[in-house]
Amino acid sequence: MTDEIKLSDLPPPEPYDKARDEAQRARLMKVWEAPKGWRKISAVNNSLVGKWYLLVSFGFFTFAGILALMMRAQLAVPNNDLFSQELYNQLFTLHGTAMMFLFAVPIFEAVAILILPEILGARDLPFPRLSAFGFWCFVIGGVFVCGSIFFGVAPDGGWFMYAPLSSNPDYSGLGTDIWLLGLSFIEVSSIAAAVELIVGVLKSRPPGMRLNLMPLYCWYVLVVAGMILFAFPPLIAGDLLLEMERAFGWAFFDVDRGGDPILWQHLFWIFGHPEVYIVFLPSIALVATILPTFAGRPMVGHSWIVLSAIGVAFLSFGLWVHHMFTTGLPEISLGFFSAASEAVAVPTGIQIFCFIATMLVAKVRPSVPMLFAGGALAIFVFGGLTGVMVALVPFDWQAHDTHFVVAHLHYTLIGGMLFPLFAGIHYWYPFVTERMFSIRTAKWSFWLLFVGFNIAFLPMHWTGVMGMPRRVWTYDLADGWGLLNMISTIGAFVFAAGFAVLAANVLWPRGRQAPVARNVWNAGTMEWSEEIPGKPWGVRSIPYIHTRYPLWEQPDLIGQVDRGEWFLPDAEEGERELIVTDILDARPLFVQRVGGPSYLTLGSAGCLGTVFILATFHLWALTLIFFAGFVGFTLYWLWTGTARIPATLEKPVGRGLVLPTYAQGNRSSGWWAVFITMTGDMTAFMGLVFSYFYYWTAVPAFLPEAARLPVFGWLVAGLAGVLAGWGLTLLSRQVLRQGRRGLAMVTLAGSVVPSALGLGGFVWAAQAAGLDPTRTSFDAMVWMLVLWLGLHLGLNWVMQLYVTARIYAGHCTPRYCADHYNLTLYGHFVVITGLTTFGLLALFPMLMGVFG
Amino acid sequence: MRPKHAPRVIDQGSVWILVAVPSIWAGHFLLSYWIAAIWCAKLPAGASLAEIRWVIAGLGALSIAAIAGLGVIAVRRYGGEFLVFEEITESSERGRDRFIGHVTLLLCGLSVMAVLFTVIPGLVIGQC
Repeated sequence: MTDEIKLSDLPPPEPYDKARDEAQRARLMKVWEAPKGWRKISAVNNSLVGKWYLLVSFGFFTFAGILALMMRAQLAVPNNDLFSQELYNQLFTLHGTAMMFLFAVPIFEAVAILILPEILGARDLPFPRLSAFGFWCFVIGGVFVCGSIFFGVAPDGGWFMYAPLSSNPDYSGLGTDIWLLGLSFIEVSSIAAAVELIVGVLKSRPPGMRLNLMPLYCWYVLVVAGMILFAFPPLIAGDLLLEMERAFGWAFFDVDRGGDPILWQHLFWIFGHPEVYIVFLPSIALVATILPTFAGRPMVGHSWIVLSAIGVAFLSFGLWVHHMFTTGLPEISLGFFSAASEAVAVPTGIQIFCFIATMLVAKVRPSVPMLFAGGALAIFVFGGLTGVMVALVPFDWQAHDTHFVVAHLHYTLIGGMLFPLFAGIHYWYPFVTERMFSIRTAKWSFWLLFVGFNIAFLPMHWTGVMGMPRRVWTYDLADGWGLLNMISTIGAFVFAAGFAVLAANVLWPRGRQAPVARNVWNAGTMEWSEEIPGKPWGVRSIPYIHTRYPLWEQPDLIGQVDRGEWFLPDAEEGERELIVTDILDARPLFVQRVGGPSYLTLGSAGCLGTVFILATFHLWALTLIFFAGFVGFTLYWLWTGTARIPATLEKPVGRGLVLPTYAQGNRSSGWWAVFITMTGDMTAFMGLVFSYFYYWTAVPAFLPEAARLPVFGWLVAGLAGVLAGWGLTLLSRQVLRQGRRGLAMVTLAGSVVPSALGLGGFVWAAQAAGLDPTRTSFDAMVWMLVLWLGLHLGLNWVMQLYVTARIYAGHCTPRYCADHYNLTLYGHFVVITGLTTFGLLALFPMLMGVFG
Repeated sequence: MRPKHAPRVIDQGSVWILVAVPSIWAGHFLLSYWIAAIWCAKLPAGASLAEIRWVIAGLGALSIAAIAGLGVIAVRRYGGEFLVFEEITESSERGRDRFIGHVTLLLCGLSVMAVLFTVIPGLVIGQC
């Protein structure tokens, strides 16, 4: 047992004083208020950014839904020519792409940004400007990708964009580039949100909320954000390979040059299957939060649900090949993935059984959210069962790429993701709008959606088994699929009508209606402690939490919070402040100051978005100019907004507790954000390493003869340079801590030199051996690894010079230098990248006897 | 009052056992897949998997032993008898410890099952 402050034994609060309360509220209001009018776009408050995120995601959902209706109209009757085949290809590609990348994943981030801080009883997430940056990236990327259809250049290769159709510019036009670059850009925003949410759950919990007391929603957010970190980067690596082949002719997927199109499928599905669970788990998390409220009791089997969330997260990474059962892999490989696909049904089932058990032991209050949750369970269980069917190889060989799969995936996604989300929308509607929706209309929308969905998708099981392929533009009367397709189309329109009713109910202006009562559903989680009318600061004072359902189990908690009896009830210094706590027990560690409204995030996202858009059209000079703009905005944002040394180094936060106002190293949120981001980055690098070994297994004679390997001596020199640069960075931190600022600046700025020479060594090793990335997959892979290392070293140099400047300007002192801790942490990851690259280019061929 | 040092995540918090248990499954799964894939890629089609079978089963047995070892740590952390629907809501360091032990114990069960699932195709399929 370790020594900890007993938060339950703190001195009592000062007696309530109305004047003091009002003064504190006025100061908090001044600090947390979002800008008014058009300046609102610079806001970073989670309540606003979350709401925008939600509305924009639903905007893309509606857009993708209209595309689906167009597809259904085309398939309603045989031999239909309502739309051209070219347009139809664009319709299904953009439908899948937008639903997955612009709705299903962002909506998780939207909901989490909106409600997570409040569930945690926190003021905001630890990096509000990062959330805003991610949101604007998402808007720009999404509009770019979706807008392409109005110019007839939308991607048309299917949402998984298989090579060689996508890798050969003769078969696929600009749409593929738009898809690759637009989505890579959106993935940046997803990873930004994942970092934000992981640090949020780990470090922004209210004092006292130990891991065993953390709400289930937070467990799911943690698990899903972690999955994003391991699932998205391999796709980014794949996107990079594919775009390099398309733009510059590098030989990755072209069989004639030693490439392999199946590699794309691996990289895509290593992302794509966990993605399904990334989409599903957050919605199940909503059910896990809603259900106890209407059951009026804690969830049965809390530990079991945590187990299943973690179990699903791991197992879902062992399923990707079940999308590739028909590619001719050895049967034993298929067997492994089939087994894992069956195994994942176990933890998935456990959560469902826990839900059912909770409903059985309590008397559930009927309500609209529960109606949607019930519909979700029914549809999802059906889809899960057909999932067990297609996980079996022999059945999958029959059903692969037919409408059976279309039916299966819509049952799992609409049952597992959309219906729970609708339940959540109705549940938190009073929380966001402070009004109540029309219950009658909501019931109408549910039944239209539920019935419409089943009419639309149930018949597809039969059309699929009867042999109707997915993505087919039209069919013949003689195929015998006409009637079932007509039924599906009718169902799709009924479903759409249900969504229209739901949207009208949710968006209906209710300004004049009386506000709802506080904690209208009588829930147990902290977000319902919000005052009505709502305040921009989240919670009036940050409470001590020692139960799982604080509003049920901690009497008068709302009163104590409102009267400002807990922590940080004031904002004397005019700063936005959060309490950062420790990962295990949520012991208060320090007060973190976060940035307020800013146009820098907008500028940064705008420039980065333009970089990706211009790169699509190969306008390289302009791309570079905007990239410089992005770097400029970001550096200015960091310089003015992060790791500032505060005027007073600690402050009383109430109830006799005094907390530091500065943290560095692994106590600080920033360090964790770097660590988590770099874990994701390392995963992308592992995607490249996987590709290297994949070629070695799948392509005969991948490793060339000794004369055509990168020159060993230059590789050694390159590695030595990279290591020396890293060593000098470490040394500069040592000397800085000893107070020798000048020497620290010289060593730090000087570390760029050996590092740059090191990169030169790697480049020259490949150049001197005459490696040409357009010739063979080995040459392309070598250059790709060197390019990857170069990009990371380049960023390292910017950071080294930035921290040197921070030391010079006095923002980084011998005692307080969070920037330097973050820099060295980044440096460790770069060194691992360098060592691995050296191992692949120099040692592995030697081990395989090429030098011998 | 000023905060003291927080417990260390890895050793004092033993959060690592939560991640380690399913990671053993992941390691076994990937190793089995890679060994079989490389074996089948480097040998002619229809090659026998007889040698590979025992490698996969042996790795499976090792993995289960490792999971069992972590299970022992989990039991110690959890303490006392195993109750299926236990709610560990006590607000103390011990409570957090017991909770992590409980979840890890459940993960051990799931991971052993998943490892066994992976071993089955190894035993059943005889040829590439």
